[in-house]
Amino acid sequence: MEVVVQITFGVIAVFILVAAAMVVSVRNVIHAALWLIACFFGVGALYMLLEAEFLAVVQVLIYVGAVSVLILFAIMLTRQITGEGVRQLTNRWPVVLAIATLLFATVLAPTLINQQWNVPPAPPLGTPEPIAGPAELGRGFVNEFLIQFQVVGVLLTVALIGAIVIAYEERARRRKVLTLAEELELKRLREQTSPTVPAPVEAEPVVQESRSASER
Amino acid sequence: MDWLTILIIVIQCFVITLAVTTAFAYLTLFERRILARLQNRVGPNRAGPAGLLQPAADAVKLFFKEDIVPAMADKPVYLLAPAVAVIPALIIWAVIPFGCLNLNWDYQACYDPARTNLWNILQITDLNIGVLYVLAVTSIGVYGITLAGWASNNKYSMLGGIRSSAQLISYELALGCAVLSVVMTYGTLSTHEIVTQQQGGLWGIIPQLLGFVLYMIAATAEVVRAPFDLVEAEQELTGGYNTEYGSMKFALFFMAEYIKLIAVSALAVTFFFGGWHFPGLDILGREVTALAGPVAGSIVFGIVSLGAFLLKVVVFLFISVWVRASWPRLRYDRLMDLGWKWLLPVGLLNLVYTTVVIILIPDRVVHSWVLFGLGAITIAIAIGFNRTPKPIDNVTLVKDIQLPN
Amino acid sequence: MDALTIPPVDLGLIAPLLVVVTWATGLLLVDTFFIPVGRKKLTGYLAIAGLVVAGLVGLPLWGVSGSTFGGMVRLDPFALTLTWVFLLIGILSITMSLDYLPRQDIEQGEYYPLIMFAVSGMILLAQGADLIVLFLGIETLSITLYILTGFAYPRLTSEEAAMKYLVLGAFAAGFFVYGIALIFGATGSTRLSEIGAYAADRDLGDTNLTLLLGGAAMVLIAFSFKAALAPFHMWIPDVYQGSPTPVAAFMSVGTKGGALAALVRLLFEALPTLNAYWLPVLAGLTALTMVVGNLGAIAQMDVKRMLAYSSIGHAGYVMLGVMVAGEQRGPEAFIFYILVYALSNLGAFAVLIALEHQGEEAWQLDDFAGLYQRQPLLAVAMAIFMFSLAGVPPTAGFMAKFYALTAAWEGGLPWLALVGVLTSAIAAFFYLRVIIRMFMTEPEGEPAPELNRGLTIDIVVAAAGTIIIGLIPAPIFALVERSAVALGG
Repeated sequence: MEVVVQITFGVIAVFILVAAAMVVSVRNVIHAALWLIACFFGVGALYMLLEAEFLAVVQVLIYVGAVSVLILFAIMLTRQITGEGVRQLTNRWPVVLAIATLLFATVLAPTLINQQWNVPPAPPLGTPEPIAGPAELGRGFVNEFLIQFQVVGVLLTVALIGAIVIAYEERARRRKVLTLAEELELKRLREQTSPTVPAPVEAEPVVQESRSASER
Repeated sequence: MDWLTILIIVIQCFVITLAVTTAFAYLTLFERRILARLQNRVGPNRAGPAGLLQPAADAVKLFFKEDIVPAMADKPVYLLAPAVAVIPALIIWAVIPFGCLNLNWDYQACYDPARTNLWNILQITDLNIGVLYVLAVTSIGVYGITLAGWASNNKYSMLGGIRSSAQLISYELALGCAVLSVVMTYGTLSTHEIVTQQQGGLWGIIPQLLGFVLYMIAATAEVVRAPFDLVEAEQELTGGYNTEYGSMKFALFFMAEYIKLIAVSALAVTFFFGGWHFPGLDILGREVTALAGPVAGSIVFGIVSLGAFLLKVVVFLFISVWVRASWPRLRYDRLMDLGWKWLLPVGLLNLVYTTVVIILIPDRVVHSWVLFGLGAITIAIAIGFNRTPKPIDNVTLVKDIQLPN
Repeated sequence: MDALTIPPVDLGLIAPLLVVVTWATGLLLVDTFFIPVGRKKLTGYLAIAGLVVAGLVGLPLWGVSGSTFGGMVRLDPFALTLTWVFLLIGILSITMSLDYLPRQDIEQGEYYPLIMFAVSGMILLAQGADLIVLFLGIETLSITLYILTGFAYPRLTSEEAAMKYLVLGAFAAGFFVYGIALIFGATGSTRLSEIGAYAADRDLGDTNLTLLLGGAAMVLIAFSFKAALAPFHMWIPDVYQGSPTPVAAFMSVGTKGGALAALVRLLFEALPTLNAYWLPVLAGLTALTMVVGNLGAIAQMDVKRMLAYSSIGHAGYVMLGVMVAGEQRGPEAFIFYILVYALSNLGAFAVLIALEHQGEEAWQLDDFAGLYQRQPLLAVAMAIFMFSLAGVPPTAGFMAKFYALTAAWEGGLPWLALVGVLTSAIAAFFYLRVIIRMFMTEPEGEPAPELNRGLTIDIVVAAAGTIIIGLIPAPIFALVERSAVALGG
């Protein structure tokens, strides 16, 4: 069983790494987003392997189901999806790669391997509640992590307000799109007030105005 | 876990997948016949007796059509999209309890919330986070449509795809709120436990009337059925996201949509209509056990519970077809208004109701009916408030026009 | 279902924070439903009232020391004094925004509650005794500032600034979280005191400390970014230049104060035994910061940009106090410097606002030419702020710099104090350049300054504060000394 778990872990880990590498190296932004989703799934699978079912499902629910959808959505509304002419890497990337590998191999990896982890003892086998069950998590939120929970609430409120402030246009500032009847009526009114100006010149700005308002 | 258990699980998966796809095929026939009936037509009745072979004929036709990939399409994504659409629709069935056939031959274990001595063959797995699993899987469902729309390299497909992702994101919140209030009512995330707790006629619709209404609206939008099927509005989008798909790939989208419809109906039954419960079911189990032994008792219990479940699902499917025949499609801005300005706030309100009432009144029966009353009042108020804006509100009358400064 | 048990919580200890947050939340609703468009100044007044109330609520807490929420939040005189300083910063920033926003045509009621939320984030940073709380404090502050930076969003520079700040800030947040993860992995706790206990149990050479050190390094990077220490300062000039001026003013003193207050706690509660590792690193960063900030400012012809670089330099001087916070003088110097810097810098930015018209940017050095002949009082005020920032004797800036430098000297970092003195000499050059322009040249353009009540109050308060603290520093010294007692390694 232990071997199976190790092998599964290895497969998932390689999958995550490949997916993550693809995210940064693929030229097409949509493909990059898809690889990112694959990466998130991989992480979810890792949680599953750790028997943290709740975290796994929440990972899928939030990262795959919500965040990535929004990323895709945003990308689809942009114009240049395939950056064929865009360079992905600078000239110095081998140097950076070498430094990163070196640091990882000499500092982080030995540290992580030699570390005596300060973990709580594993619960006895057959405990009904899984390690990160939703009930325990909820209890944690109202007990140990009460202040964090509250502050996160404030934080999310601020973020929401901010999104609205940035995206919202005051109704008074927004220019209305005119219907054809309204445009004609407007034109007629203008002609009445200033009969000297020829009509077609007048009609032009009205059309432009309505178009610019709709583009906004 | 010995090989027999694994084998049984594999067989379960196969059976359910096949059953669900067959159900999809006959749902199309069901829908076409009922729609025809509602529109005073006859409907397909030529292939086989009473048109019963029509789905097979459709399938054969779709299989043998030419398989076309648009030249400028993004091929990997284009091919990936139908698969991505179908997979969530199929795997969502893993946690839905169709009934309770206990292979440990003790029908009473079905009612035991602790699930000791229960080996229910009519539910693939009883995750203790089943409801979250459902939400997670439905949230993946949007990818199939979005990617299909984008990969086709067609403006209509693209618009359909974007519409769909916006719609699904918006309604997912309301759906989540509705489902979460059910979870709070029963204090568990396991679908099996939610069903067992509805024993005794106090079905989920009583404490969660509001939740049920929200769930039905949001779920209909989530499976892009009429009246929320803007994604494939023919008049505007020539078919929407699947414009460029033909043959079996189109069939896969079609299939995903209908299977999801069955799935949300099954979930509605699970959450709000007692799942496989049926009045007199436990009496039946007890009598048959007394007459013919525990094995027969369990089998009869299982089959009857399955039948009860399927019956309820069919009722929901009929309602869905009925709605499709009766209501016109919503306009896009109305759709967004409904999702964000009505369903989401009401859903949050429902969460508050549920928490407060359940904490204040611990007695199950009393708080159920209090919640029912609150829900009914809220629905009445919401409908009263929701004055449909008339078209005249959105235009300026010619006589009212003033020169801008 | 067993009943939920909520542990006993002493809300009194977070009273100022609580007041700010609830007031801001309520103000959002009041603003939306009761305050008509065009009269949003009222929201601003209410926000000021809220901050004042929060300050008053803090008064009875003076001298109280304790922690609540299971040790996640700490209140001591150090935190309380900083809270007052932060509230003062918030009040001054809102006062200078009152007229700025309508003039720039970006007035929206949400601005004032957002400033309050930012202040609450800063207070949380001063009070937090847990890495997650600190992270949330930093995020509350930063997210609010991302929004406020982009508040003038039809203006392209504002959008650009918000974008740059957001992207780089997100990176910093990533470093912070990764650091927390590593620290948690090493010690099994995010609580500062428990991390400290873990580290104290081990020898310096213990390999088990490596992971903790790695995590600490990541967290330090995040703090350095927020406080604009030298290699992580790149975002400052562009962001300050692009964002609305009151926001830039708030940011220059607010983020620094908040982030460094948290850094003091982190260094001296969680990592005091490891100072052999972090002290050289931080000292190097500080020296670099002072040099880079002050040299960079020389080249700037744009006064707003110059103030941005000068704020980098000042971050270095504040760090002098932070690094020796184990000694008595350290936290004293830190609080004192933050207070003085807040007064002088907010004043200087207020003068900039007075010179700024709608859409026009009157921040070039030439725009200050001959200001004395047009607006003598404004010019004198600006001169006071410049002198204070440069650290010229009669002003508070001198006392602050003196305090910080002596603290560093006594704390065992004499070479750093020397660097500080040298860079102050460099700094005098570009501050005095502004003064020379104002007093000794003829006016060229005609940027008629618009002075109104809010700005006048602001400038007067700041100038008076700068002068008074410079002349009679004793009461402030006494306050600062008492608040610094509780800390100390």
